[in-house]
Amino acid sequence: MNDLMGIALVTLIIWVGLFAYVYRLDRKVSRLED
Amino acid sequence: MRGSVILKWLLLVWLAGVILAAFFYVHPAEGFKGESSRIVFFHVPMAWIAVLAFLISCIASVMYLRRRDPKDDIRASVSAGLGLLFAVLATVTGSVFAKIMWGAYWNWDPRQTSITILLLIYAAYLALRGAVADPERRAALAAVYAILAFVTVPFLVFVVPRIYWSLHPDTIINTRGTNEFDSRYTQVLMASLAGFTGLYIWLYTLGCRIEAIRHRRRQEVL
Repeated sequence: MNDLMGIALVTLIIWVGLFAYVYRLDRKVSRLED
Repeated sequence: MRGSVILKWLLLVWLAGVILAAFFYVHPAEGFKGESSRIVFFHVPMAWIAVLAFLISCIASVMYLRRRDPKDDIRASVSAGLGLLFAVLATVTGSVFAKIMWGAYWNWDPRQTSITILLLIYAAYLALRGAVADPERRAALAAVYAILAFVTVPFLVFVVPRIYWSLHPDTIINTRGTNEFDSRYTQVLMASLAGFTGLYIWLYTLGCRIEAIRHRRRQEVL
């Protein structure tokens, strides 16, 4: 695996991780609002 | 409700597509060392979101001073916080680019100096909010400060870096009013700007909802 692919993979993992965190937080806030 | 869930999943796929396109669809641009030009697809949207967030904070602050609605104060503070976060990310991505292109993370280039001043101005905004206990007084002082802070944004972001000689490459729409990137570059950059704007809108509405819950709970305690 070359450097470019490695950096792309790390960027993708960071984005999916961030999305999962914010999505979970969003759902938690929705429950608190109800 | 269902529509907003679909939009969020669409954002996940959209930005994942932007990341893949930034690394594998676009060829490295001429005049840049190695693969450094790919940082543009993340650095430019972050700088754009920072300016947009500071503008929203300023508008919400004006609205607060006119209507004295606590929701406007929440909007201003959430947007300023997000603006600061994205300005830090723009600085970090810019420093990585500087290291590759010019051999050092920090060169005291006019753009680096002006973003540092901007970061300090908005960090002071958050410090001001933390220093005043009375909610109404805090909201009024912060609103006035946010309006004054935004007056500096056009100068620090658009004017100062163009007056002084800078290592920073031409902006996307350069001083000659033209875009000299190839079409693939422009496509991915526009897609990235749209995706990051979507992410900002999501984080902003989520931040406002969290602060509204906190505000409601404080009111219940009193």
